[in-house]
This record gives sequence, C-alpha cells and structure tokens, in this order.
Amino acid sequence: MSVRDSSLFGLQLLDRRRFLANLAGGLGGIALGSLVAADSTSNPLAPRSPHFPPRAKRVLQIFCSGAVSQLDTWDYKPELIKRHGQPMPSAEKVITFQGEQGNLSKSPWEFRPRGQSGKMTSDLLPKLGECADDLCFIHSLTSKTNTHGPGEMFLNTGFTLEGFPSVGSWVSYALGTENADLPAYVAIPDPRGVPQQGPANWANGFLPAVYQGTAFNADKPISHLQRPKEIGETSDRAAKDFLRVLNDEHLKHNPGDTDLAARIASYELAAKMQLSAPEASDLSGESTATKRLYGLDDPNPILAGFGRNCLLARRLLERGVRFVTLFNGAFAMGEGALNWDGHRQIKSDYDRHGPILDTPAAALMKDLKARGLLDDTLVLWTTEFGRMPTFQKGANGRDHNPKGFTAWMAGAGVKRGFSFGATDEFGHKAVENVVDVHDFHATVLHLLGLDHEKLTFYNNGAQRRLTDVHGKVIREVLA
Amino acid sequence: MPDRSSPRWLASCAIAVSIASTTNADDGRDLFRTQVRSILTDRCMSCHDATTRKGGLDLSRRATALTGGKTGAAIAPKEPEASLLLDRIDAGEMPPKSPLAPEQIASLRAWIAAGAPYEDEPLLAKRAGPDWWSLRPIARPGVPTVPPTARVRNPIDAFVLARLERAHLSAAPEADRATLIRRLSLDLVGLPPSPEEVDGFVNDARADAYERLVDRLLASPRYGERWARLWLDAVRFGESNGYETNTLRKTAWPYRDWTIRAFNDDLPFARFVAEQFAGDTLPDGDWLTKAATGFLVGGVHDVVGNQTVEGMRQQRVDDLDDMITATGSAFLGLTVHCARCHDHKFDPIKQEDYYGLQAMFTGVDHAERAIPAPDAERRLRERPALEAELATMDAKIDATEPLAEVGAKATRRVPVDPGRNVERFAPVLARFVRFTVASTVDGSEPCLDELEVFTAGDAPKDVALASTGSRAKASSLYPDNASHAIEHVNDGRFGNARSWISREPGKGWIELELPTAQTIDRVVWGRDREGKYRDRLAANYTIEVATEPGSWHLVASSEDRAAPGVKPVTTDPERAKLLARREELRAKLVTMSGTMNVYAGTFRTPGPTHLLNRGDPMQPGPEVVPSGIRTLTPPLVLARDASESDRRQALARWIADPANPLPPRVMVNRLWHGHFGRGIVATPGDFGFNGDRPSHPELLDWLARSFLENGGRLKPIHRLIVTSATYRQSSRLDDKAMAVDRDNRLLWRMSPRRLEAEAIRDAMLSSSGKLDLHMGGPGYSLWEENGNYVYVYIPRVDLGPDANRRMIYQFKPRSQPDPTFGAFDCPDAALVAPRRTSSTTALQALNLLNSRFVLAQSAAMADRLKYEAGDEAAAQVRRGFLLILGREPSEGETTAAVALVREHGAAAMARALYNANEFVYVR
Repeated sequence: MSVRDSSLFGLQLLDRRRFLANLAGGLGGIALGSLVAADSTSNPLAPRSPHFPPRAKRVLQIFCSGAVSQLDTWDYKPELIKRHGQPMPSAEKVITFQGEQGNLSKSPWEFRPRGQSGKMTSDLLPKLGECADDLCFIHSLTSKTNTHGPGEMFLNTGFTLEGFPSVGSWVSYALGTENADLPAYVAIPDPRGVPQQGPANWANGFLPAVYQGTAFNADKPISHLQRPKEIGETSDRAAKDFLRVLNDEHLKHNPGDTDLAARIASYELAAKMQLSAPEASDLSGESTATKRLYGLDDPNPILAGFGRNCLLARRLLERGVRFVTLFNGAFAMGEGALNWDGHRQIKSDYDRHGPILDTPAAALMKDLKARGLLDDTLVLWTTEFGRMPTFQKGANGRDHNPKGFTAWMAGAGVKRGFSFGATDEFGHKAVENVVDVHDFHATVLHLLGLDHEKLTFYNNGAQRRLTDVHGKVIREVLA
Repeated sequence: MPDRSSPRWLASCAIAVSIASTTNADDGRDLFRTQVRSILTDRCMSCHDATTRKGGLDLSRRATALTGGKTGAAIAPKEPEASLLLDRIDAGEMPPKSPLAPEQIASLRAWIAAGAPYEDEPLLAKRAGPDWWSLRPIARPGVPTVPPTARVRNPIDAFVLARLERAHLSAAPEADRATLIRRLSLDLVGLPPSPEEVDGFVNDARADAYERLVDRLLASPRYGERWARLWLDAVRFGESNGYETNTLRKTAWPYRDWTIRAFNDDLPFARFVAEQFAGDTLPDGDWLTKAATGFLVGGVHDVVGNQTVEGMRQQRVDDLDDMITATGSAFLGLTVHCARCHDHKFDPIKQEDYYGLQAMFTGVDHAERAIPAPDAERRLRERPALEAELATMDAKIDATEPLAEVGAKATRRVPVDPGRNVERFAPVLARFVRFTVASTVDGSEPCLDELEVFTAGDAPKDVALASTGSRAKASSLYPDNASHAIEHVNDGRFGNARSWISREPGKGWIELELPTAQTIDRVVWGRDREGKYRDRLAANYTIEVATEPGSWHLVASSEDRAAPGVKPVTTDPERAKLLARREELRAKLVTMSGTMNVYAGTFRTPGPTHLLNRGDPMQPGPEVVPSGIRTLTPPLVLARDASESDRRQALARWIADPANPLPPRVMVNRLWHGHFGRGIVATPGDFGFNGDRPSHPELLDWLARSFLENGGRLKPIHRLIVTSATYRQSSRLDDKAMAVDRDNRLLWRMSPRRLEAEAIRDAMLSSSGKLDLHMGGPGYSLWEENGNYVYVYIPRVDLGPDANRRMIYQFKPRSQPDPTFGAFDCPDAALVAPRRTSSTTALQALNLLNSRFVLAQSAAMADRLKYEAGDEAAAQVRRGFLLILGREPSEGETTAAVALVREHGAAAMARALYNANEFVYVR
C-alpha cells in the first residue's frame, strides 16, 4: 500500500486535512475504515469501534522487570527436582547470556496444587497461586533475545530495536478512550524506580505524542498536573480567563481553523484532568479492609507502595482508562537488587521480591473479580523472558533464557484455570504449542476486537504493525 | 504437462469449461479487465515482472509470458491444459505462500482458453521498478508560462500557479509585513523577531526590504542552530546508548556542532557528505571535520555484554543496520532497511544491495576516537604548571586538615567529599593499610578512584602506588566492567573510568600491602577526583594499619566527620581561599590534554561480508562485495578487499555524484518540508513506492537542478523558496479551495503550523530576555549525574544558567524527553525521524501552564516589562504583547490584560501569552 491509500485513521493522523479530502473523494471503507467514527476527526482520543466485537474493553498489564524465573513460580518440573545437582543433558555445551552453566537446580521453593484446578505453583507467590483458577497460563512463550533491553522492548513494543510504539500506544491509537478526563494509557512505575528501559516502555514511537503513556503512580502524580504553589487560585483562574479571551479572539480572526479549536479543547481537557486524576489517585476513601488486602499497612514500604499502585490501577480501570501497565521491579542497580534479575543469589533476591509482588497483585486480581471488572478487563502478567533450569557456573542463581518462559492472561475472553503449551522436562525450551511474543500480541489485540494485520500506521517505508509481519492469534486460550 | 489423471485437475478443468462455455469469444478481454489483470499484478508480478523476472519469467507483457522462463512457455493460448502457469498454480506451488482462490484459478483458465489476450501492456506490478519516478535522472523542466497578470516573483511561482490554475484555484494575497517577519524569523532562525526588528521591517520603504531581511537571517549564526535540528532528527542523533543501560555519550556533541557549522557555512553537498562518511580521511579538515563521522555512530548501540554467539552477532548486525537505515533515509530517501531479510517488497532494492551497503560500514565500530583538540598546543603547554600548582594546593590544604581522632566525641572534621578526602594521623609504622566501607551515601556499591598513602616527613611520597611495588586486593569486584578493576585504586590515575567498585551494596574493603614497612601519617582517598560523580561515596568507613598480617590498628574513621550533606563550613578564610582555588584548578585540568575523545566511531580492517538468509546472523549466505544500490545511477561496486577508508570515501562520492538522482531531490525536498510544513514529497525519508508522490514533480526537479547548479549549496535554495510569492502568501482560508484541496497540497495559502518544541522554548527565552546565545561545546543537561550500571534519569532540580541556551544545545539522551517540551512531539532519537508528528494534548497544556520553566520565563518577563515599560500596567501590556506576540494588543485585549496585570502582576499575563494559540502557531 502506498501512503495515499493507507489506513484511513493513520492518514488522518499523518494529515487531518488530507484525510478529509480522501474521505470526500470516496476512498472510505478500506483497511481501518471502521475505526473512523464521524466525530473522531477532531479528537484523536475519541472512543472508536474495533474491527469486530471485542471480548475485552480494557487491559491491565503487569510487567515484571528483570526476567522472572518460570521455574521458581509457575512452571512445575518434577524432573528438575529429581535431577537436581546433575549436569543438564545436552548435545553441546550450553552458553547463555553470562557464559557457562553449572548443574540443574530445583527451585528453592516448594510447589503445591492450588484451587479447584490443582495447578502446581510455587510457595514464592502463594497468594497469586490462590488465583490459579482464574488464570490462563502460557508456558511456551519464546523471545528472540536474551538481553534485558531488547527483551523488554520486544515484549512491550513488538520490536527488539528501540523506537517503536508500545502496546498501550497502539491500543489507544486504535480505540481511543472512554474517559476523556483521564489519560487513555497510564504507566505506573514501581516504587523502586522506572523499569530498565524507562519511558521507552510506554513510548508512542512514531505514533503521534497523544498516544504516549502517561507515567504516574500512587506516590508521584502526573507531572505539572497542578498549578504551582507560587500561583494563587484566583491568579490562576484570572490568567486562564485571559487566555480564553486571547484564544477566542484569535479564532475569530482565523475562522474554520480546526487546529486552533482543538488546542482550545486541550486546555479544557487539562482542566478536567486536574480534577479527575487526583480523584482517581486518592485512596483515602477505600475501606480499611481493602487497604489491608492490598498490603497498604505492610511494614515493608516497597510492598505497601506497590500495593498503593495496584489499588490505583484498579481505580483507573474502573474509571474507563483503556490501558494500564503496572510495573513491578525497577532498573538494574546491581544484579537482582531492584528487580527480578536473579543471577547470583536467586533465593535471597526472590525472597525479597516475591512478597512485594504477591500480596498486592493477588489482592488486585481478587478485587477486580469481586467487582465484576474481570468480565470486561483483560489482565496480562508478563516479563521479558525466563531463566535457566541450571544455576550459573559458580553462582546460586539462574541466567537468562528466552527459549521457553511463562506469561499468563486472565479475565475477559480467556479460559480460566487453563494451561497452554509446555517446556521440556527441565523447563529449558518450549516444546509444545510453541508461541512467541508476536502471537501473544496478536491475541491481546484480538481480544480487544482488533485484527493485528489491519492495525497499521505508515512509518519510514512500511505500514507498521505491532506484530511486524508475524503473529498468529492463540485461539486455544480464548474462552 | 499436467497429470490428466489427477482428480484435482479434472475438477478445476470442469469449472473452467463451465465458465468458458457460457461466455463468448470476446470475453477474454472482459475477463482480463475485470479479474485477470488484478490477479497478475497483485499475486504474480512482485516476482515476475520486467525487473524481477524470477525464474526468467516476465508476465508484464503477453509476448514475454508466452515465451516463458527457464522452465518453458508459461501460457499456451487457447490451451489451458498445456499452460505451465496453471500447472504450477494447480500444484499449489504458486504463488508460494498463499494459494489462489478456486474462482481466481478458474478465471485464469477461462482467460487462457479464450486466447489469453492482454488489454494493455506492460502491466505494472504493485511496486516500484527501476523506472520509478525518483530513480529517473533529474529532468530540466521548462518553467511554465502563466498569464502576465499572475504574481510571479521567481520560477517557483510559475510552477505553483500553473498547477493551481489547472485546479481552478488561485493563490492567497501576500501576508502583511508583521506576519511575514515573524514567519521568516521563526522559519530561518527559529526565533521570533524583536519588536524593534518588526518595527524596522514594517517601516522599511526600500524596494528590497524583504530580500535584505532574508539575507540578514540566512547570514545569522542562529540559522544553523535552527536547521541543524532538522538534520539531526533525520539522522537519529542522540547522546546516549539506548536500550537497558542508556548510558550517556558525553563526547557526541561535536557532531551536533559540526552540523550547525555545516549549515552556517553552507557546505557544498559533496563536502557535506564526504565529511560525515569519511571526515577522518580528509587532508584539509580541522577537528570538527574529524568529528563529523559522528553521523555513522549517531544511533543506538547495545552495550550490554552478551556471551552467546547469537547475541553478539545480533548486536553487531543491529549496529550496522542502524547505519544503513540512517544513510538510506537521510541521503537517498530510500527505505533500504526493508531489504534486510528479503528483497525489498516495493522498491527495486535487492537483499544483495543491502548487504553490499553493510560491507561499506563493516569496519566501523561504535566508540570514541581521540582527535587533536582544537587548542591542543596551548593545553599541553599549560598542563604541567597546572598539575604542579594543584599538587602544591593539595599539600597546603592537607596541612590545614585537623588530625583524625579515634573515639572522638565531637565531629570536628568536614563531611566526606566525593572528590578528595584527607586523613591525617600521628606517624605510624605500617606495612598493611585497610580501608573498610560500612555504608555509602546512597546505599549502592562503594567506589574509590584512588587510595593514596603518604610517608611522614618533609618529602612525602605516595607509597600505595603499584609502581612502588605495593599490591592491592579487595573484598569483591563490580562484575563485567573493566572500568572498575582493583588495579585502578593504586594506579595513580583518577576518575570514575579508573576506579574500583565493590559488588556488595553499601559495603566493601580494600587492603594495600606495601613492599616494606613505612612510617606514614596521611591517607588520601576519593570517589571521583575528576568531580563528575557524587554517588557511591563511602559514608561510614574505617582506616586501619598493621605491621603484621591481622594485627590491625585503627588510625582514622568517619566517626569524627560531620554528617554527609552538611555543607562544609570553613571558618579559616585562608583555607577557604585555597579550597576555591583548588576547585578552579581541578575544573581546568579536565580540559588540558592534547587530544579529546569524540564519539565519532573507530575504524578497522573489514572482514568478509555475507548475505544473511532471512536477516539471521546465524544463517550466512553467499559473500557479497561492497556496493551501492544496483538499480541506481551511477553504478558502485568495489572489490571485496577494498580498504576500509576506500569504502566510506567511495560511498560518499557515490551519494554526492550529480548523476545520482536521489540526493538532490531529497535535500531540496527537506528544505521545502521545513518551510511549508510538508515536502513536495510528504515523506522526506521515503521516495519509494510506499512514500508519497510529489505534488509538483517538475518543481522538485527544477529545484534539484538549481541545487546542483549552485554547487550543492542550500542557502540559495532557501532564498529562492522564501522570496517566492508562494511563500509570501497569507494563511487565509478559502472555502472554495478547502472543498477541492483541503490539505493545501497545491499551495493556495500558507498553512499555519504549530511551532516545534525547540522553537517554543527558544522563543520564550528570547522574549523574556534570558536567552543565552553561547554556541557550541557540551550541552546543558537536565539530568543528575550518576555512575550506575544503567543510567538513572533523575531531573536536576537546579538547572543553572547554561540551561537558558538554545534547546539544540540541550544534552539529548534517547527515550528521555525534556519533561516540559518533550510532549510537543520531540523525536526520541531511537529511529530516524524525517518528519515530526504534530499532536495536541492535554499534557502539553499542563506543561505550558505549570512547569517551572514557563513560570521562570513569566517572572523574567515581568521583570523585563517593569524595566522597559515602567510601572504603568497599560505600558507593560503593550510591551508584553509586542515582545511575545510581535503585535500591539487590541482594545479589548488591552482592557482584559490591564485588569489582569493590576490584579495579579505582569507574570500572570506573560504566562497566559506563552500559552496562547497565537504564540505557539506561526501563520
């Protein structure tokens, strides 16, 4: 497709005027035609219908930075326990990210059956384990890189290279938002800091900036949201009134200029956001029971902080935010210190990280379910790749492993208490129903009513997609 | 021949017969028109057209289709069963990935049965061939004749008016002078005109007042600062590595300075290209010329060590891909990177071409390179004296330090300092010295850049140095980082890059063993004596000595130092003077070496380059030679053993060759894009099939010719464009034109545009009077320094006065947008950005209303107004409007603004004006 007959919504963003000309010229109805509602021409965040009826209206993604070991959480391997301490049978020497491998090592945590489904999960995350009947595990996910940066990019943008739009940006580009008073797409950084690739995880890439994720968490509000202390309320109001006089006057001299009208509207939206965002972030009205459930009273300040973030996530979803990414774990400040990168001492590292994730995330799952939000919210639990069944040579931790790892989905449109795909007997490589990150993304879009091959935007020579030229919907996980 | 016993063949034959039997002989043509043509063009010809000819087969003409390819005639008219084409389709072999629908096959069969007529020839594939418009030689178009009444200031207008006339549209009248000077200034130099400049121009009665203004602006050094930004976007220039660590490239700025200079000097195109590809090889360049190869390594680079072969190879080919992508997009307007895994699907670029280009860069590595400092001679001359003075200063300051007191009750000593700490104690005999850190200021792993141990007496000597035979060992080492080895702690060299870091958060120890026991009375240590890093500093520590292993004796510790962060109070004025002088000397010493390191790449002898199947570095295919793109004129193919510098020079010559039709078109289109908000080709980095088609193809070629005739210089083209009547039109709307050409592709008016982030910020500073016009050198940074393995971006609270420089001098890490202005569609420098999006968001509104920056400029404006207009509100309002909007306020605006200023001060008015649509739009 050339740029002239590309997706209509993409064209509109490339150039709104040309878009209208094309619409008038009868080019309607191709590609993303159905995404273009009559009023979306002036507001790029107006809600739009997907390609086909969706199962999910919104998405919550929990992203664990640093690569969570599947073998110490969700992927139970009796053979690994049996062969603990023996070399991994392999035709050739296995070299991974940091080098040579030691022996097979069973998880330091016990696995036990959970819920009705009897799903075996580890004692590292017991409370999330209790949710097993609601989760749909994908044990055969693969990535194409073993390095954190590209891995995080792949999982969150569909490309290992930097600079591509994040999943949440694609989704807000496709669907707009149902609550114009809040950002369409919110990224909630961990209390310990931003994830390894920082804002690139919620970047708009080549999509217009309006689709960028807005980063804030329970303790750090949207930057520049409120008028600075130095400016009094009446002064603020007077300046804005004067601004309105200026802009109205200017518009009068330049009638028909939709860009000017759109910019005036953006100030009105900002004013609404100044009220809505603090309201959404204010946890004080939550019951004591709810706060306790999320761990807000926990003596560990990081756990309590992540608990506040989880509660914030629920409140945003309730208010119609289209896409929320909740980050667990921060950048690499010494291996495994602030995130899940357990190379050397996986026991002590994960003993620190496990409870921080477990209590609040499990509370969030239960709360979403109790409030009926799971019916139309898709929940994703993701990490950049998995870890090795062996310990690294001379260490008590696991190296990177993109050849087979676990993610789960839950909620709208996916099977409950279900496990899809499998790794080999040790949990090293995916061997059954092998899928990759593109497939995962195609499935997420599908659940939102979007055809991953039709959601496109022209950039630098190609109609770009979240799934590049790959991706196949994982039908088996659909309810 | 088809296997006639095959039931499948029989079945499809039956369908064909049924169609054929119900149609008459003429229907072959109908079938072709309605169905066959699109099957051939959509499904067959991406591999079987006149240029691709896979298997020798060309289906674009009837004759060549009948001749067929290597395996024989593809089509036998009236004999479907003898046609190889159907044979292969029936067998499910063609098209290779997704078979045709049965009804499509039936149509083809019926068409062949009807004689396989072609209605029109040649058929064109849905892709660009070698005769694609942008690949044809640049034409010499004649200037159209337009009625003598038309407003034609130069040939540009004739082209534009002729096109408008065809659409029965007319151009807008000329904009007024106040509008024109604001437009011209923001366009050419990226800054608004001062009220005095507006006044001068509006009242300039000379016939060439406009041309004089244009010449003045083009000659201004501000011009390069504005137009370099466009180029830096297009070549994805950033000052950090990207990816997980996103660590800083503090020495990449010379490429930015080179770009600004190249625009200001209006470097001829051939030179502009040669310096960026091979500035290191040019005999007549200065230091900035050598820094121009920063272009090659301007993109992302994953610095994370990976022990797997796949991982290492992938990182390398990604680096090279980045160079190819930038070259293709910025200079050629081609999306060459699309041919990495397979032949380009839409443009005539073979996978072989991609790897031919990769071979051009295969000797280039991401790294700093030492180049002669511009003032090397002076630096080297002055350095020894500086070092001597610094040593004296250290000794003098040390002598004023109180002795460390073990078991002290009071804290008499200054807090620990990231730079240099002195521990004085009574002379003691020592063979072992141990420095133990119990905690650090930030909880991260401790760092020491040097640990010095001085002998007592009149001629103190550092006996810790490895060169004196001392040995150092440590509790642990920071993993995988050559900069932080234990050997660095007693190598006599300072700074973060030659330091030790432990691997335990907050803890670690170093032990020195001297060759013989010595009487010592002083230990000196620091975290970074170059003064750049303040993290990882030991907060609680002990220093012990021993004559025998294990018999430790405490001589100094942190317990008698004031708490970290407490500002050192020097009551002794003499000491304060010494300390201040030492700071000056230290800062100066950093800049005193004969060479400077610049992030401009290093070069090595290239190895062989292989085509990679599916782009996979683990699947090397046949070897390729260094080459250009083969369908482009002139040809460029080098020998496989061509030297590294020959490759880059040859590539540069090829790009700058006047016979190469792409670069001149691409360059003049960039200028057009910059001036009108959209290029003649709306996709400035893609002149291929997927890109936009030129709205005025003859004009584009006419401009490209002018560019070549002007020696490949840009300023004459700028001048042509901005002095045209087309550019000088007003932005008035016209309902009739809107109905026909709503997007103004035909240029019936000037399209209003929102200013880019840089222009908004610079315009605020310029109007508030705070703009610092200092050019060049390292940029101002918005971020705190830290030495973590991954760079942690924490905004600096106190930006300092250099942050009032133009935004092009802002240090630009990737994926870390300016917290205030990044929301205005600033590219993040991870990918090439030939054009910026322009979106309008609520976050932009919040940033302009509430950020400290806008507040600071509003306050500065209030000061300026008081100074320039006095205390009278009406006068302040008038001056404020002139400074910020470049015009007088209307009566209604004056009334409203005066009330605002009286009630809430002039800063409130400035804040509103900085948020006004009129301020952020140029018309």
